[in-house]
Amino acid sequence: MAKWGITAARILVAVAFVAPVYWILVIATGVRGSAYSLPPVFLPAFHFHALWTVLTQTHWLRYLANSVLITSVTIVCVLISSALAGYALAEVRMPGKQMFFYLIIGVMMLPAQALLVPQYVVMFHLHLLNTYAGLIVPFVANTSGIFLFRQYFMKLPASYREIARIENVGTWTYIRRVAVPLARPAVATVTLLTFISSWNQFQWPLIMTNSTAIDPIELALTHYMQTYQANWRELSSAALLAILPIVIVFLFTQKHIVAAVAGGDQGSKE
Amino acid sequence: MAIAIERPRSVLRNRLEPILGFGLLLPSMLVFLVFFYAPAAFLAYISFFHWNIFTSQSQFIGLGNFLILFAQPLFWQALFTSLYFAAVMVPAATLLSLGLALLLREGIRSRRGGVLRSMVFLPHVTPVVATSIIWIWLFDPQFGLLNSILGFFHLPQPGWLASTHWAMPAVIIYSLWHSLGLYTVLFLGALATLPRSVLEAAQVDGAKRWYLFRRVILPLVSPVTFFVVVLATINTLQSFSQIYALTGGPHGGAGGPAFATTTDSLLVYQTAFLYQHFSLASAMSLMLFILILGLALMQKWVADRFVFYR
Repeated sequence: MAKWGITAARILVAVAFVAPVYWILVIATGVRGSAYSLPPVFLPAFHFHALWTVLTQTHWLRYLANSVLITSVTIVCVLISSALAGYALAEVRMPGKQMFFYLIIGVMMLPAQALLVPQYVVMFHLHLLNTYAGLIVPFVANTSGIFLFRQYFMKLPASYREIARIENVGTWTYIRRVAVPLARPAVATVTLLTFISSWNQFQWPLIMTNSTAIDPIELALTHYMQTYQANWRELSSAALLAILPIVIVFLFTQKHIVAAVAGGDQGSKE
Repeated sequence: MAIAIERPRSVLRNRLEPILGFGLLLPSMLVFLVFFYAPAAFLAYISFFHWNIFTSQSQFIGLGNFLILFAQPLFWQALFTSLYFAAVMVPAATLLSLGLALLLREGIRSRRGGVLRSMVFLPHVTPVVATSIIWIWLFDPQFGLLNSILGFFHLPQPGWLASTHWAMPAVIIYSLWHSLGLYTVLFLGALATLPRSVLEAAQVDGAKRWYLFRRVILPLVSPVTFFVVVLATINTLQSFSQIYALTGGPHGGAGGPAFATTTDSLLVYQTAFLYQHFSLASAMSLMLFILILGLALMQKWVADRFVFYR
């Protein structure tokens, strides 16, 4: 009996966490006015009229494209910069390595909220306000990415590098053709983490842009809240579009994401 | 023979190696220096000037910005709101996530256990503004699901985001929903590494559930508990997006009603980017910087004395 109760409690708790995400679908695809029905309607009606309106009569496709562009370019850049720096920390003998180590870790200690004002000044003087580059460049270096790659590169046998040296293979080629392919789990983890943080980016674009042409979706959503304030179906449909890519990726990579975000062994390694 | 041929080249390589290393680190270091370290150093500098960023006219005014700040009631109110947020959020997040981890612990390696964990974790990766939209609707005093449920049980139905008293609790509920998954997973990781032998030994000795939890599990997860407390404190004091999205978006209403949800981060944002008082906002940011680092260091000091590390 007690065991049955515990199982029920676990399922109830898990469902409560997912319920709000499910509720977006219910409101977005409900029949007109169903958001206001009392008692509430608990099942989605799958009326995609509101979603269609959002896609065809607004600039929503543009915002989606902006987010896709910003996210994909950021991912590629983070992978390159992290792999290079990770390799330097793992394999290259150089003076002052300790200092670089602390500089890379130190970035994580800086409270991001407190830096926005001076960062805005820097962005202003570099002419990066209101540009795609301004939404990408500050995020192309990533401490956890660097350390992940370093960790995998340190596990590579020293003999691989010796062979490369004897065969006269250049460092760049070695990183690209040997080291990175062997660090595939690091590539996957960095890609997923960057995807999540870049796709969910909100405060930075809010401050650093004021033209709707380059808005990523999260920022565009706050503008929608003004325009569609009372139209819950349209607003929820727009939110659904922002959430869907994340939820789809999460469904397929949940174990990996959980392990990546929390770090370490989460019982996810088979 | 081969070694003799190899030697000159490897000497050259050894000379070039540090340069190669710097080159590989350059892209990342450049970004860190330009967009993070330079602004951090710059922050202290601007705080002591009366400063216009667009014309770069500046005038040293010493502690002037801080004096203006201290004379403003709103500054103290925002500080209080931030601390109130953290004072509720940190213990609630820590206790609830530990509870969730203990609840979900058994069978976590099974397929079904993994799914339950993922369900609890999912909110943490969802975009804040998109999910805030649905929570605004859930919090709706008249038609929201939350008040429908409370009404069903004949409990009082607060005005949530429309009420000065309940707006902050609403923000806290959203923040818990969004962050508990992360902390729970951190605790689950710690519980998974508990030495089975210790647990079994305690059970063989006839330890009661509560005793087992209090004397065995709790000390063993204390390093993670400490980590969660620090993380929750820092995250809470830096909360911005969910407050901005939940309390009214860009019509200047964010932080309302009647400044009830205006935390330090929101006040910095409004002062700098709505009212263009950059120097004042910098002074405020510097205080926030010191507050966050100070609390983190203080917690470290406490932890060094009370946390049991293996």
